[in-house]
Amino acid sequence: MHILLIEDDIEAARVLVKGLRESGYSVDHAADGREGVSRALAGKFDLIVTDRMLPHFDGLAIIQQLRRARLATPVLVLSALGTVDDRIRGLKAGGDDYLTKPFAFAELLARIEALLRRRASASESTTLKVADLEFDLLARKVTRGGRQIELTAREQKLLEFLMRREGQVVTRTMLLEGVWDLHFDPQSNLVDVHISRLRQAIDRGCDPPLIHTVRGSGYLLSPREEEA
Amino acid sequence: MRDVRRWGLFKTSAFRMSMGYTLLVTLAVCVTLGSTYLLTQSIIQGDVDLILDTELKSLENEYVRSGIPGVTDEINLRIDSWGRIGAVYMLAGPTFDRLAGNVTNWPFDGAPAEPWPEFRIESIEPGQRSVHPVRAAVRRLPNGDWLLVGTDMSQDRRYGRTFQIATLWGIGLSILAAAIAGFSFSFRLTRRVGEVTDTCVRIMSGELGHRLPVTGRSDEFDALADSVNRVLDRLEEQARTLRATFDSVAHDLRAPLHRLRTRMDAVLRLPALESGIRDPVESALREVDRLQRTLATLLQIALAESGAPLAAPTPVDVSELADELVELFEPVARERGLRLTGRVDGEVIVEGNRQLLAQLITNLLENALKYVPSGGRIEVAVERLADRAQLVISDNGPGMAAEERERAGQPFARVGERSGLEGSGLGLSLVSAIARLHRTRLVLASNEPGLRAVISLPLAETQPSASSLSRSISA
Repeated sequence: MHILLIEDDIEAARVLVKGLRESGYSVDHAADGREGVSRALAGKFDLIVTDRMLPHFDGLAIIQQLRRARLATPVLVLSALGTVDDRIRGLKAGGDDYLTKPFAFAELLARIEALLRRRASASESTTLKVADLEFDLLARKVTRGGRQIELTAREQKLLEFLMRREGQVVTRTMLLEGVWDLHFDPQSNLVDVHISRLRQAIDRGCDPPLIHTVRGSGYLLSPREEEA
Repeated sequence: MRDVRRWGLFKTSAFRMSMGYTLLVTLAVCVTLGSTYLLTQSIIQGDVDLILDTELKSLENEYVRSGIPGVTDEINLRIDSWGRIGAVYMLAGPTFDRLAGNVTNWPFDGAPAEPWPEFRIESIEPGQRSVHPVRAAVRRLPNGDWLLVGTDMSQDRRYGRTFQIATLWGIGLSILAAAIAGFSFSFRLTRRVGEVTDTCVRIMSGELGHRLPVTGRSDEFDALADSVNRVLDRLEEQARTLRATFDSVAHDLRAPLHRLRTRMDAVLRLPALESGIRDPVESALREVDRLQRTLATLLQIALAESGAPLAAPTPVDVSELADELVELFEPVARERGLRLTGRVDGEVIVEGNRQLLAQLITNLLENALKYVPSGGRIEVAVERLADRAQLVISDNGPGMAAEERERAGQPFARVGERSGLEGSGLGLSLVSAIARLHRTRLVLASNEPGLRAVISLPLAETQPSASSLSRSISA
């Protein structure tokens, strides 16, 4: 997977590039908007990660130029602005995701992975299946090993979010955004409590456990322990 | 809104002014025409009286010269030869029996008391019969006979009536004209003032790009619009500068935090890191995150306090939002032994920012979760009032002292005992700031016992939008 990072903060960029390479991505770095656009248009990238405030063109102008050139590469916007309006403006301009600085590296990694996988799996199946856990999306019915599991509408939404990202790390922020549409950080351990309730419903008395906690990052739904 | 203003027309100062003006015009017309009428009437009457007096005097002289027969002759002569239309003469004996003249019977009951008595006379002219009012003068001749001279007043009375009718018409028409002028004046005034008001309302709701229409007539309204527009230009410029300043402050504070965090993250990813290093770095990282949260909150509060309008408000169903947040927080509350319930009044739509309103409810809820001891209750209620949505978050915890409650709503206030806990002061300040962005305020009250936080939000307008309104006015 090939990522283009457009970031004028050389120091921060160096650490990010190193981290991403260690995580198995090949990374190119552009230090300003103009270089970023020409690199993006010249090379074949699977994902572009761009800062919002850049010399020459800002991040949103870059997205507009890329989209005008009919380049559909997903774009993740990094921003030091980060009020609610900035996020809305960023997503409206055609960004696929928006992350406010400072962020945890794990958060960036999880979001990059989510954007890359989203491209790969655009299946329209009506049933989600992980090991013996099945979610019939039309009937809104969840079964594990043939046994029906009663879940509230919100718990179903949470489970669907996790199942659609089977094997991917999903952070607490991603869950708050994706399941509850909340784009700020509540101080309470809301997500943990909801996950633990879901875990009770899904995993209790079943083998193997499907919902795993990833230390320092978030959660992961997978039949295999070793991915955690 | 438009109808309200149309009926409100009667309440405008322009309307009151024009009503007063109409009244004044009416009064002036009444006085002018009325006094003209009265003056004319008295002049006519004076003329008549003078003639009557002169005639009487000449007849009396005739009596002195040639006695009763002379007077009789003179009366007959005057009746026949002068033929003065409407002239009435009568010579009567001491018992009022007719001796001469063109009146058949003495018209009064004895001698009249007033100097200018009036009576009615029937005349039989060829073809028609009519009754004429007569103004007369009576003298007693030295021999005891009575002499009466009168004038037919019907001509003058007709003139008087015509004058009266003309006066009434004049008054009526001038009232009508003044009323029409006043109404159209006040309507046009109200309309142009309404344009100013509408534009100001839209600007206050965040559409900073709007300007007042300048008609090009160079009247006082154009002058007003021009000055207001210049003020708006300045405000817009200031808002832009403010926004740019905020952006650069946010950037300058976040960028170093970001570098710091990125480096610490990199340290944590080092292979085979000893726990003696990992633990302090992780704890430092948590502090960085806390710092970052505080910074974000501060920036949000400062932005709200700067008076910048809410960017792009959209319709938000507060009931739905409250329900979702209650559902989100309920398991956490239960974990802490608290009972969290929601009570909402169906769909309640307000204009606002969903994320900020969610943050507002979240902060109030987290506040309650922090302070209400185990076994307590927390309730989130959304009530739909006549024109407002009332959001109430109440608990039966320890509550706050009255002076604490008052201070808590102020920006950057720290609340005494509670300040020991992380973020509590800022939490309520942010709630206040978000409330202010939504043009309302946070009201804290005692829930006896506990705390009761009330936010009263204006309901979204269901009427046509402001833009269609001003279009129809300027059209």
